[in-house]
Amino acid sequence: MTTTQTPPAPPNPPVAPYRSTVVPPGRDGFPQLLRAEWTKLRTVRRWNLTLLGAVLLTILISLFAASSGKVETSGEKRGPAPTGPGGIQILDSFRYVHRSLPGDGTLTVRVDRLVGQGETRLSGWAKAGLLLKKSTAQGAPYAAVMVTPGHGVRFQHDFVHDTAGSEGDGVATARWLRLVRDGTRITGYESADGSGWQRVGSADVPGLDGTVQAGLFVTSPMVTRMERSFGAVSVDSRPARATAEFGQVAVSGTQGDWRHTGVGGRLPAGAGESEGAGTSTGTGGAFTVTGSGDIAPAVQDMDLGATSLSGTQLGLVLIAALGALFVTAEYRRGMIRTTFAASPRRGRVLVAKAAVVGAVTFVAGLVASVVSFVIGQPMLRANGHKPPQFAELHFTDGPVLRAVAGSGVLLALIAVLALGLGALLRRTAPAIATVVVLFVAPLVLVSILPLGLSRFLQQVTPVAGFAIQETRTRYGHVDSLCLPEDGCYPQGPWLGLGMLALYVAVVLALAVWRVRRRDV
Amino acid sequence: MSERAVGHDGMSGRAVGHGARWVRTAHAEWTKLRTLHSTWWFLAALVLTMVAVSALTTGTLRAGDCAALRTCEEDTVKLSLTGVWVAQAVALLFGALAVSSEYGTGTIRTTLTAIPSRWRMLAAKAVVVGGLVAAAAAVGVFGSLYAGRELVLAAGFTPAAGYPAIGLGDGPTLRAAAGSFLYVVLVALLGLGLGTALRDTAGALTAGFLLLYGFPLVAALLTDPDWVEAAQRIAPASAGLSVLATRNLDALPIGPWAGLGVAAAWAGALLVVGWGVLRGRDV
Repeated sequence: MTTTQTPPAPPNPPVAPYRSTVVPPGRDGFPQLLRAEWTKLRTVRRWNLTLLGAVLLTILISLFAASSGKVETSGEKRGPAPTGPGGIQILDSFRYVHRSLPGDGTLTVRVDRLVGQGETRLSGWAKAGLLLKKSTAQGAPYAAVMVTPGHGVRFQHDFVHDTAGSEGDGVATARWLRLVRDGTRITGYESADGSGWQRVGSADVPGLDGTVQAGLFVTSPMVTRMERSFGAVSVDSRPARATAEFGQVAVSGTQGDWRHTGVGGRLPAGAGESEGAGTSTGTGGAFTVTGSGDIAPAVQDMDLGATSLSGTQLGLVLIAALGALFVTAEYRRGMIRTTFAASPRRGRVLVAKAAVVGAVTFVAGLVASVVSFVIGQPMLRANGHKPPQFAELHFTDGPVLRAVAGSGVLLALIAVLALGLGALLRRTAPAIATVVVLFVAPLVLVSILPLGLSRFLQQVTPVAGFAIQETRTRYGHVDSLCLPEDGCYPQGPWLGLGMLALYVAVVLALAVWRVRRRDV
Repeated sequence: MSERAVGHDGMSGRAVGHGARWVRTAHAEWTKLRTLHSTWWFLAALVLTMVAVSALTTGTLRAGDCAALRTCEEDTVKLSLTGVWVAQAVALLFGALAVSSEYGTGTIRTTLTAIPSRWRMLAAKAVVVGGLVAAAAAVGVFGSLYAGRELVLAAGFTPAAGYPAIGLGDGPTLRAAAGSFLYVVLVALLGLGLGTALRDTAGALTAGFLLLYGFPLVAALLTDPDWVEAAQRIAPASAGLSVLATRNLDALPIGPWAGLGVAAAWAGALLVVGWGVLRGRDV
């Protein structure tokens, strides 16, 4: 090797990138990227048709579901279901042994025993305890402290409010209860021995002013047994009767004699036949009371809101196809090279794509769900899904807004998930197939698989996102079957949607990582 | 024009008969599929999804789910074959891609230049795709049933507890096994028909998934039991998979073999539509 005296070659002189002298330089910012992606989405006619098809399919299937079922009311005419404070539908049937309480006062009692009557076992939510109620009419405001066989001591008022006390050992040993009225402020206490008292709960119940009724109550909700095998569900609901023995009854501030009343002679429509009234005996310090029924909000079998939005379950197939194609079509046609040449930060490109396709499918999904709900609800009502059996839903109700807007979010998340899978797999067919198998297969399977597995699938697969469509309010202090085929998701709306969002975030993050690392 | 003329063997120039021409066409299709990596991945995925989903499902079974095993309605054979519900997606994908990918890449022009008889080309594709899927489905069904048998026994559904074990040779079990095997093949042919008719992977898949999964979903959305049953009788998946049942046949919307017939009718009809499109349209 010969050495030469030529100086080392200078490093490449900085080359000025080509700049057009005619067109002002374009800006390479995120808004420009969004606009580019929006232009792509907007100008492919097939994608527009797919989006339109998704909206139409969603609406059509929703209306089909809304129009297909009729409620046949049995010949017997039932009275209107009682409604509680706030207009919600309630159950209010129990045996009541009571006196008038014009002012402040205190009730104390020892619940010695709470047992079931007859063949059926006792529900975990059978109740025995002390109750203050404005009147003996169904739906009147109340506050109560009670023992239950399955859920310990509870303080409840006005049907929907529930506070847990000590778990204790159910009703195996005697338990002391006390209810104190101070104006409209009601406080419940419990004690194991009648001397050391613990507060269970306290509430200001505005309805309990003036003269109220105060006394002992017993009730026991229906015992429901369910057998479910492969799509065939047999539900067997039987009224149960509970008997409680009360001792050491001490009251202050009350007037008049003890009166024995069966509140709510009959349970409302849909809950079967049951005598709300029971029997009660005793005077002075000890009573034996038998009652049947429940004091709780009524639970509805059918979710009218979700029914009128059910087209989303099929619309998602087209939305998923759109989301996947939005990136796989670029790979197939080679367009992706142009895209990445124009905007070399690939992760940002993918995020822009996700934002555009998510926003567009959200709007499309929102349009579809608003139209489905607005047209579907009158159809459902025309088919007999109306009060008193079914509560009427209004567009401005919180859960309805959540379900309708949530359906748009749901479809947007599905589109972004498909986009992420498309970027990961780079092929149309596997991306669409994966989304469908992740979403639609569980939706079909939950009604035929064993219950435990179905609930598991509802919680861990992306299908969980459909929980957002529920419009029923669920209460922790009421037993409900929560069957997957009724559209009941055990985890509740927000956790469900959160699960789906988690999937989307993970897949999109993986896609960004992969797109940045791999050659195009 | 060459339909009636005697074909020629490309290499030797020998005239070949009618039968040989069919064999050659099938051989060409087989070569195309055999040399694609994706074919073997799809077939492996078919077997794996079927066995895995079946085993996972059956694995959740507990004897405690039933109050009394003797009166338990749990259809363990049907449970052991749950994987067919998912594996059908792979079969559909495989069938649709067998033709739509040729449209995507343009190979279809070469194919039809080499085999001008479109009917023969489609039939040969159907035979090869059907044969490959049949082989995979047979393995998958046997694996699912075998795993199911062991898991059901492990869950406590033993003969000693009054619950008959899954006998792979029992009449109803054999019907469920043969039926699910045939069903998977039919779904692949349905996919082939859709792919031929729509000439596009995304379109064929979307249509196929709506048909297989969307239809039962719509059926489930209906509230009127008569409508539900009517929808389940005509949906390819719910009717076709009624063949999985070994107990409570009265509760089925449609008889096992009749249901499989419905699925076969769908597959046949879509193949005919595909053939019509193939015949009537330019490539």
